[in-house]
Amino acid sequence: MDVLRNKARDLLAQGQVQVVIGYEAGTGGARRPSFVRSEADVARLVWDADCVGNLAGYLTRAEIKKMGKIAVVANAATLRALLQLTAEHQLAEGAVSALVVTEEGAVLELSNAQAVTEHVATLPASLSAADREKLDQLMALSREERRAFWEQELQRCIKCYACRSSCPMCYCGSCTMDCNRPQWVPVASHEMGNLEYHTVRAMHLAGRCVECGECGRACPVGIPIHLLTCYAEESVRRQFGQPAGTSATLNYALGTFRPDDQETFIR
Amino acid sequence: MADEAFEPKITAFVCNWCTYAGADLTGTSRLKYQSNIRIIRLPCTGRVDFMLIQKAFARGSDGVIVSGCHPNDCHYTSGNYHARRRWMVFNDLMEFMGLDMRRVTFSWVSAAEGAKWATLVNEVTDHLRELGPYTEYQRLLNAGVA
Amino acid sequence: MSRLGVFVCHCGENIGATVDVTEVAERCKHMPGVAHAEDYKYLCSNPGQNKIKQAIEEHQLDGVVVAACSPRMHEPTFRRAVTDAGLNAYMCEVANLREHCSWVHEKADSTTEKAIDLVRLQVEKVKRNKPLDTIQVPITRSALVIGGGIAGIQAALDIADSGHKVIMVERSPALGGHMAQLSETFPTLDCSQCILTPRMVDVSRHPNITLLTYSEVEHVEGFIGNFKVAIRKRARMVDEDLCTGCGECLQKCPTKNVADSFNEGLSMRRAIYVPFAQAVPNIPVIDTENCRKFQGKKCDRCAKACPTKAIKFDQKDQIINVEVGAIVVATGYQVMGTERFPEYGYGTYPDVITGLQFERYASASGPTQGVIKRPSDGKEPETVVFLACSGSRDAAKGVKYCSKICCMYTAKHAMLLKHKNHHAKAYVFYMDIRSAGKNYDEFVRRAIEEDGVKYIRGRVSRIYEEDGKLIVKGADTLLGGEPVEIKADMVVLASAALPNHGQGELAQKLHVGTDPYGFVAEAHPKLRPVETTSAGIFLAGACQSPRDIPETVGQASAAAAKVTALLSRSHLAREPLVAEVNRKPAPQFSDCTGCLLCETACPYQAIGHEEIKDRNGNVLKTVAKINPGLCQGCGTCVSLCRTKAIDLHGYSNEQIFAEIMSL
Repeated sequence: MDVLRNKARDLLAQGQVQVVIGYEAGTGGARRPSFVRSEADVARLVWDADCVGNLAGYLTRAEIKKMGKIAVVANAATLRALLQLTAEHQLAEGAVSALVVTEEGAVLELSNAQAVTEHVATLPASLSAADREKLDQLMALSREERRAFWEQELQRCIKCYACRSSCPMCYCGSCTMDCNRPQWVPVASHEMGNLEYHTVRAMHLAGRCVECGECGRACPVGIPIHLLTCYAEESVRRQFGQPAGTSATLNYALGTFRPDDQETFIR
Repeated sequence: MADEAFEPKITAFVCNWCTYAGADLTGTSRLKYQSNIRIIRLPCTGRVDFMLIQKAFARGSDGVIVSGCHPNDCHYTSGNYHARRRWMVFNDLMEFMGLDMRRVTFSWVSAAEGAKWATLVNEVTDHLRELGPYTEYQRLLNAGVA
Repeated sequence: MSRLGVFVCHCGENIGATVDVTEVAERCKHMPGVAHAEDYKYLCSNPGQNKIKQAIEEHQLDGVVVAACSPRMHEPTFRRAVTDAGLNAYMCEVANLREHCSWVHEKADSTTEKAIDLVRLQVEKVKRNKPLDTIQVPITRSALVIGGGIAGIQAALDIADSGHKVIMVERSPALGGHMAQLSETFPTLDCSQCILTPRMVDVSRHPNITLLTYSEVEHVEGFIGNFKVAIRKRARMVDEDLCTGCGECLQKCPTKNVADSFNEGLSMRRAIYVPFAQAVPNIPVIDTENCRKFQGKKCDRCAKACPTKAIKFDQKDQIINVEVGAIVVATGYQVMGTERFPEYGYGTYPDVITGLQFERYASASGPTQGVIKRPSDGKEPETVVFLACSGSRDAAKGVKYCSKICCMYTAKHAMLLKHKNHHAKAYVFYMDIRSAGKNYDEFVRRAIEEDGVKYIRGRVSRIYEEDGKLIVKGADTLLGGEPVEIKADMVVLASAALPNHGQGELAQKLHVGTDPYGFVAEAHPKLRPVETTSAGIFLAGACQSPRDIPETVGQASAAAAKVTALLSRSHLAREPLVAEVNRKPAPQFSDCTGCLLCETACPYQAIGHEEIKDRNGNVLKTVAKINPGLCQGCGTCVSLCRTKAIDLHGYSNEQIFAEIMSL
């Protein structure tokens, strides 16, 4: 942890970055985002296994971009999001440095997309074992049971859009949900609208989701909403082999095609 | 309403160049099919936003047909390939969410396949009549605000 | 509130027999926004169209729905009619009551109900229609032809003859391509150079053609009617204006051991060279890789020999920027080399040669002045085996497709051998003989029946050297697979025709699609065979797939006809049904986030990006930009866009949403 703090102190002292985004102690042992802008504050930074949040969501915010050059303490999902955001032209190449704490406790500074790409290639999948198990369990159910499960879950949705706000890939300035000409999806938290909203979100993240699970953690009513986007992403990976968050150049599965894409349901 | 009185409501999204023209051929060939279907004409299957399918169901459709040019025959060379990828993900995701994908029929009907269009529409209509109204979806519409 | 008019056609009995047309018109009167509805026997007739025009004026209609036959039939008719009455053409929609309703359903209330629904769909759509104007794209009235083989030559001459300027770019130092290398041409056996060289001269002398040899396309931007092309004119080290083509320099060059690519490596050339005697332009080029001067040695013999001081060792590559309205890709093909065939010795046996090498031996201007000799010892071969389908139709080791020209040139080769050496024996191993074409099958029959070429149906499994002979081991499948062994002096592989080297890079520069083999893809395999997937870029010849000279020339003229049709107008009028990225007031500027995921989804490469700047030139936002000159209106980007920032004129989100909601 000291290595990380020292690194942050150096970067700030030398003026190489103006803000280090990392994790600090929150309430009840949880970790929360920390925006360190002076050397005096580096002591707030922590790094441990509880630092699971995806900090990449902050990188595209105008108020953060304004601060200057950014270093972000990055876990695997953050790194993947960083690449995907770069591929989607939301981050300029080199605008953000990623600080990665290795298992040995050393700190790597990955200051360009190529370094991040190479590092990400060595990492295991982001999807947690628990989520993997949950996905498999759901798939083992009958369609009726799955429908019942999601109906049960989604009717609790209060459409607070915390999932949208927390998602690093939901950076769009204007969302289809807010479009009222035409009013695609009813505004109110209504069962039909909830279903439509979450379908749209999953479809929009298929081929783009870095499987960080941030949306699920953000949900105030505890809907495992990340399973939808993770499933959509997995569907893309399985069918087209074009995973999100592995490259800083665009390779969007739904914006490309192969003439021999195989399906079984078109008559 | 008694079961036998149920007539499914079917919305079709078709491309202008193949399936729309194919359905025209069904007409000029005077082939008959059941009249439950309402066709919405689009330039290409690439224009078929999955949200259109959602909205058709939200509006009370019991079934949806999406149809366009066969692979490699797209008037716009590759719109249908992009569409196919989207459907592959959409179809998969809908299955995961437990939606009744028996009610969505994707097909390729060319401008020469007037007979295929008639058969397709009849089969889909009969099948939907068997499945009955899409209550599990339409029920959500009438559910109260949470 | 809209003031729409609905006109319901009986189409004689065609609609009226199963749909209660009067009822439809009556019910439409009560639809919100409909100011007028009527029915008529034949709306497409003149009186019918006049009814529509009168109603537009009388009821001050701002939109029209015609419920009649398929819009694919009479949409243009009715759109013209409403224009006559002062409405915008795109304020008229057609409900298809005939093909999609009356002809396919029985007479019933449900059929009439469906007809009403179909009209309602269009009523709701028209309410959201916007007047649209035809898009006018200005056209630069000149063309670029890439490739100086027979395809490019024919296309360039045809375009130039029609009065348009042509810029022709050829990668090698001279025009002619593969056709210049050929000896005689099937099925007439006329000399290839004799028919080609006059065309090459025509190109160089044509007042409308600017010929750039030893040049390559460096960069292309723009779109149909408006391409900007950067061409790299490589340094020949010879001043083209000063050089008279006397050839003095060629004799003096001390480097004499460079493999001559025009002769397919069968002879040697000097470091300063003209590719062949009849080359156009007849201006030498210094091959800097082999020239002593450029290898740091002292030598300037060519410069000393030059009477006009045309040799310029300090010449540099030049970038020439041109603007053209159309481009013809005529980049040809290459043949698979002998090194690609392990079973035939990996290219290690000198007497296993390609068909193109055989052409050079057979050519009167070739390395042996037309005497067929074998490379190893220069002896005239007595027994020659020709292998058709070498690498073609071979998914495992070569290419899947048929190279098309080999059956014919193999027959020609065998025939030429027999003509030049009556005692020689010619064997052809083949899979099938594909000789469709005018006088083609007769030609093959002639080789077999008159010249005694022995055709063996079967493949050759192995070739090896033994006692100065090539042992060819194969099987005759017409004799039940009986093994055949021939002791040959020379083996000629009719090796597969492949996309030319550099074809892939060029396709990328041009943004034209390629097929899985790397050949340039046509826009439609049947109906648009000389157009590429990019508007304004056409193709001709073997860059599309292997083809022979007559077909290439025909296709080149077809491409030229397409180009001249395009260049004959000052502006290009396009249907305004194109996609557009929306604009909003600051600070949003647009719903577009600039993610540009749509870019790759566009089949026409019509999507780029643009920067929205403030008055000081600072970039406020980067957003996608759709070029209306390139967009064909498929709408693939529209349904891809997460923020609904892209919409399609004529099939907008609001229109389609309203259609769904009307049901």
